[in-house]
Amino acid sequence: MKRRDLLRAGLAAGLLPAWGSGALAAAVRAGAGRPARLDPAAWRAYIRRFVLPEGRVADTGNKGISHSEGQGYGMLLAVAADDRATFDSLWGWTRTTLMVRGDGLTAWRWVPGEGVSDRNNASDGDILIAWALLTAAEAWRVEEYRTAAVTLVQALAAAVVVEQAGMTVLLPGRDGFRRGTGVVVNPSYWVFPALRAFAAVPGGAVWKRVADSGLVLLAKARFGTLQLPPDWALLDAGGAVAPAEGFRKQYGYDAVRVPLYLAWDGYDDPYYFRPFAALAARGGGDGPVPATVSLPGGVTAQVPASVGMLAVYRLACRLAAAGNTVTVPPPGPDEDYYSTTLFHLAALAGQSLGIEP
Amino acid sequence: MTPTRTFLLLLAAAVAGAPSAGAQTPSGQNGGARALAPGVTVDVNPAPGSGSATAPAKIDETALRHYARTGDVERLEAEIARLRALDPAWEPPKDLFTPQAQAPGVDETPFWKLVSEGKVPQARAAIAEQRRQSPSWQPSAKLLQELDVAEDTARLRQASDARLWQEVTEIAGTRPDAVSCARLDSAWRVAEAYGELKQTDRALAIYRTLVSQCPKAGERRDTLYKASRYLSPEQVRELAALATTANPAAGEDYTVVGRAQADLETGRLLERAGSGKGGALSPDDLARLEATVRDRRDADGALTLGWYFQQRKQHRPAQEWFALSNQWAPSDRAAEGLILAHAGLGEKDKALEAAKPWRGRSPRVDKAVLAVERPAGRGGRGGDGPPPGPSPLDQALAKRDYSACLTAIQRMAAKSGMTAALAQQRGWCLIELGRPSEAEAAFAEAQALGGKTGGKTAAKGSGAAPAGKTEEEAAYGQALARLAAGDMAALAHDLPALPLSPRHRAEIRASLLAAEANRALEDKRYHDVLRLLDARKEVEPEPRNLGILRGWALYNLHRLTDAYDQFKSIDDRLSTPESREGVTITRKTIYHDWQ
Repeated sequence: MKRRDLLRAGLAAGLLPAWGSGALAAAVRAGAGRPARLDPAAWRAYIRRFVLPEGRVADTGNKGISHSEGQGYGMLLAVAADDRATFDSLWGWTRTTLMVRGDGLTAWRWVPGEGVSDRNNASDGDILIAWALLTAAEAWRVEEYRTAAVTLVQALAAAVVVEQAGMTVLLPGRDGFRRGTGVVVNPSYWVFPALRAFAAVPGGAVWKRVADSGLVLLAKARFGTLQLPPDWALLDAGGAVAPAEGFRKQYGYDAVRVPLYLAWDGYDDPYYFRPFAALAARGGGDGPVPATVSLPGGVTAQVPASVGMLAVYRLACRLAAAGNTVTVPPPGPDEDYYSTTLFHLAALAGQSLGIEP
Repeated sequence: MTPTRTFLLLLAAAVAGAPSAGAQTPSGQNGGARALAPGVTVDVNPAPGSGSATAPAKIDETALRHYARTGDVERLEAEIARLRALDPAWEPPKDLFTPQAQAPGVDETPFWKLVSEGKVPQARAAIAEQRRQSPSWQPSAKLLQELDVAEDTARLRQASDARLWQEVTEIAGTRPDAVSCARLDSAWRVAEAYGELKQTDRALAIYRTLVSQCPKAGERRDTLYKASRYLSPEQVRELAALATTANPAAGEDYTVVGRAQADLETGRLLERAGSGKGGALSPDDLARLEATVRDRRDADGALTLGWYFQQRKQHRPAQEWFALSNQWAPSDRAAEGLILAHAGLGEKDKALEAAKPWRGRSPRVDKAVLAVERPAGRGGRGGDGPPPGPSPLDQALAKRDYSACLTAIQRMAAKSGMTAALAQQRGWCLIELGRPSEAEAAFAEAQALGGKTGGKTAAKGSGAAPAGKTEEEAAYGQALARLAAGDMAALAHDLPALPLSPRHRAEIRASLLAAEANRALEDKRYHDVLRLLDARKEVEPEPRNLGILRGWALYNLHRLTDAYDQFKSIDDRLSTPESREGVTITRKTIYHDWQ
């Protein structure tokens, strides 16, 4: 329901929605580098709730549509659960249904009864899918996955990696994110562990620069008293960053993944986690943690953060070493797709850091 | 006494909030720049055998050694000053400039280098990457503090530039040490924020702290200038007294504070005398003002005094002041005043004599002559038909009574309708009254009226088509009004499309570039200052005040010889306090002569 707001905001502005990503993998080499494992019972519940027989992940918070982000997350979780059959089903549907653009990238949105309803790509969806393919190739020794991943990574490098103000950044989608001399970026599209995996692909040096620039971007994209990153930001030609016009100027459902991906890739500098821990502390005690914060004003939403978001905050609090913590209730029986996914991703990230069992 | 070597610390530009505070601000007056005395000056003692004590263990010399290693003399000096402040007994290590073995672990040099280049986000990124690779390593507390301060200072500056005063005070609340002499620019901005928020008491408290704690006379003087925007004359006087007496530091000459206060006082009195508001000046104030103007041979001040007396029908002192102004710097404005003062004294011949050099060359002189001669039927400028003697409007203009100008125009418009020419005259009178927004509207009205009546040529004409004379003049007036209102960016944008004559277009462009150059100096973008001034020079010759501005930009770029030559050539033509200050400070910097 919360994400639906976001979806509408994106559509109203005629822009790509922002989806997230995260993921996991049987053989993630991030951080402490332990292969992360998803509990079989949790994975069975996930399939039952969100994975349809034809191989698509339904976003239950958004009228059951499917998107490239969801496919990517599903594939990553399948690898973590060591479930090759489901992985193949998800990948098969993605390839035949969404990879219809002709440039190797993935159409981002598919609506039941309608099919592909927006052919533009969402860069994080492509990144998640490619990363899932790479981890699958390694987990199950399948060269075919690796070949597909490399092709997708190269298509991404050609279409959405751009130089701006001395930084190497990701366009959120191939089309529609340039604003005069500035570019719109989505900080949560920097899936750091995926970028690291891409950098290791032959010819993948540019991805190291993307990752390095991502850290600089996050040091610049801090607004309001809490110093949180916006879901959508404009990076101007001079290198300055501001919450982007035409989007809701807020920290919220997208940017909550920033600390998740940083932690997952082994970053633990408290500087990068403090804003999120501070937000969690703001809710702390009795009050709920707000789901969104307007930037730079700092107006918080009435809607509380979901279970999955709280799981991310728990991780961020540990790394910020700010002394506070967050209680994460178990996901409810009707917990939506995004919250459930974040919940599992946070657990996998914690495992890879060696701070969760 | 041990020989001391003194470094001049300037150019705090690289990292905002670095502990060195190069105090350098332009004054808003006359569009010129006032460059202030250099910032922190610190004595270093590298004298052999001076027996410096070994540093107490608690003094953290990490940053000091870093600056020494990288040759960043400016920050080195500031750090030495800071550590001395922490422990007066502490002496800089003698081996500061001898190569040191790196401490085991991670070498922080790359991070410090990024910080000193102002690349704070890049430093944060590099540190995070290093921590990822070396989990047991932690950056030094000094490095983290430097980053925090730089970030908070930048936030404070951004909020201040965006005029988000409340946010400025909030940031300052989380960083109380922002209000200190070491971070003077931040402190000024916080005080300014309180001033803008009408919390004058809090602003005053900060200004008091600064003028009594900051040792440098120049810093105290600048603080006084800043404070004068928000404080009453009495409060400024009190602040000046504090600044001249509190906690004097050896070798500092606080008389500059007194001079600055006198400047402010004079400016305030002149403004009052010139505006006609606030009634007559007290005999004391008047005497002080007259003495100062005479002392400085200030032609503009003399004009103001001339009009002050003229408006009170004291024609003799008025005539004397106009004559002095004309003597110090001949101008048609001075001649105009002289004509009318003589006329008031019944000295028509002298009035016409004073008009001679300007007749036919200056509309304002011609108008004044017209009012003196009262020549029914003897038209001055042809083409308009014979004027029926001076109208109330002419009289108002001749008397430079711009309020009466507005009244006269209002009457005329009520009687026979507004015309383009009337609207335009109204614009000029509003400009003289310092009401640029209304002036802009009046000129717009003139343009609209002109377009209605005779605008066939101009209606759809492209920029290249010659605009009608009225339209041109209205557009020119409008542009001047926008300049006066500070509408720089939009005016620059519109300029190419405005129906201006080449001469007026060049003049407006030159004014815009000058304003931009001033702003660039305020922002410490010294390369931009030079670029803008060079661009302006293409349009018209550089006036003296911008020449001084150029000098300070060169100085702050450490192009000391160029700066010296610049100041010297200005000073050779006409030596004033501004040019002398430039010459003196630059020479002292070149020769390290600050004793």
